[in-house]
Amino acid sequence: MFDLLGIALRGLLHRKKRSWLTIIGILIGITAVVALVSLGTSMQLAVKRSFEELGYDVMMILPGELGGGFGGPASFGASFEIDVDALSQVEGVGEIGLMYYASIYVKASENEGFLDALGVSENIFSFFKVEQAAGRRFAPGDRNAVILGVEVAEELGLEVGDTMEIEDRPFTVIGIYSADSRLDEDAILIPLATMQDILGTRGVSMVFVRAAPGYRVEEVAKRIEAFLYETRGRRDLSVQTMEEVHEVVQRALGILGAFLGGIAGIALLVGGIGVMNTMYTAVLERTREIGVMKAVGARNSQIMLVFLLESGLMGLMGGALGTGIGALLNFAAVAAAKAALGARVLEYGISWWLVLGVLGFSFLVGSLAGLLPARAAAKLDPVEALRYE
Amino acid sequence: MNDEVIVRLEGVWKVYRMGRRRKIEVEALRGVDLGVERGEFLAVMGPSGSGKSTLLHLMGCLDRPTRGRVLFEGEDVTRLKPSALARIRNRRVGFVFQSFNLSPTLSALGNVELPMIFAGVPRKERLARARELLSRVGLSERERHLPSELSGGEQQRVAIARALANSPDLLLADEPTGNLDTETGQGVLSLLSETNREGVTVAVVTHDPEVAAIARRRVRIRDGRIVGGDDV
Repeated sequence: MFDLLGIALRGLLHRKKRSWLTIIGILIGITAVVALVSLGTSMQLAVKRSFEELGYDVMMILPGELGGGFGGPASFGASFEIDVDALSQVEGVGEIGLMYYASIYVKASENEGFLDALGVSENIFSFFKVEQAAGRRFAPGDRNAVILGVEVAEELGLEVGDTMEIEDRPFTVIGIYSADSRLDEDAILIPLATMQDILGTRGVSMVFVRAAPGYRVEEVAKRIEAFLYETRGRRDLSVQTMEEVHEVVQRALGILGAFLGGIAGIALLVGGIGVMNTMYTAVLERTREIGVMKAVGARNSQIMLVFLLESGLMGLMGGALGTGIGALLNFAAVAAAKAALGARVLEYGISWWLVLGVLGFSFLVGSLAGLLPARAAAKLDPVEALRYE
Repeated sequence: MNDEVIVRLEGVWKVYRMGRRRKIEVEALRGVDLGVERGEFLAVMGPSGSGKSTLLHLMGCLDRPTRGRVLFEGEDVTRLKPSALARIRNRRVGFVFQSFNLSPTLSALGNVELPMIFAGVPRKERLARARELLSRVGLSERERHLPSELSGGEQQRVAIARALANSPDLLLADEPTGNLDTETGQGVLSLLSETNREGVTVAVVTHDPEVAAIARRRVRIRDGRIVGGDDV
């Protein structure tokens, strides 16, 4: 077997240019597979991490229904009013966090414009991981206080203690949060009451509820749903457990990943056909040599193995190089995402499992593509092969 | 069955189907009876197209007859499986061709190793044997050379070394000097004679009387039939 591998290698080296071109065909396919699959994994891991940080004992009350597929909350950003005191009386309801999402007008020295702002209850930090880069968080009684994302702070040239205008009211910067937070670093936070005051509303965009210790999240979610229906008389709000949301998002990402993988698979298929073409040519070209090998006593199975190893090696080479390039692309994508969007929106998606799987798969693709040509080689009639010019 | 006969052809016919639809039948051999005795040096003489190469292929188990029987060391090989025929070619027979037929991707040494690789001979033993054979044909210095870097005579000597790799009982040569000049051809012929003196049965097919002259027995073939010879 090892010696037949040597013969196969010589065959490849003998037609370097064509071997390399064929390998490049596989390489492109594998690169696409690795890059896209790892991108999908990157997204899934990132989503998983953010849900883990939020905690699985948390539920969200959102307007609209939780969709399947790519949907998610149907009307993200729409606001609704809710009786928080009554909600807190529902059995199993623990801590409640409130959030209002809006774009508001901001002015600081020479800069002015609209920014994404979150009006939040003081306790929101127990639901979201927010890394404080400077200053403090909200305290009871804070009214015109603002916490800035690090990017906003830099752009506006503001530090803790500075003042700025939000919707023509003076605010004091009390804190700055860093890029490691689970919030966009180009957003700002103000107290919910202040936000409601500015916008003249009593509504919220999203309610976070933590199940009280000893209660199962699903049960509490059902009770809250019943409570909402009782008090509102219609099902305009939905209660989503983190697990449900996580599942929906993972399913969507899974479909996306499979779709991307499928496209990459087509590239790999084309590469495989390239291998097949090269191997058929090689068999034709070396017909006489095959005849000689048969004359000196090679069994059909040995000849088949030589050609299978040749095509398998091409697959493996393309696979190894493609995996390397695909992995580099994944690192680049993670770095680019971090540079463009801030925070850690993607995790590295390359695993040993993926690398070994892809290498094995590329060898398999090469071998499979070589199967028919190798069989053709093995079945050649020795006398006719020797006579072949 | 005569133990002294290595290979015997009994009433052997070989019909090739040629052409695009394989409808044209060519009778390469038409009822050949021939035995090759152990230790002899046989020359099969005939013009081109007389069926002499086909005869050689059948003697070496490279092909099977359309009709009749081929007995190799007493065994009827006509119905053997391809793998069994391959085994006979590998261990019992060595082929030398007019156009050398060395593997262009392998060095001289690699070419001599080839039959031993297929026989599963361990690497160390194989290398030693291949080097010994190359030195016997006077090519020790050229073991790393590819066929394209060797002269015709050198290539044919590598081919002879390769044919002898697994110590065959029977060496079959098809116009071994056909592509060589006279002097180089003489060298190859004396190598074949030497091999024969060392106990290997040799059968050569040729149209060249000079080649036939060094054989100890001659048969003539024409239009697929044995038409005469020293003992016919």
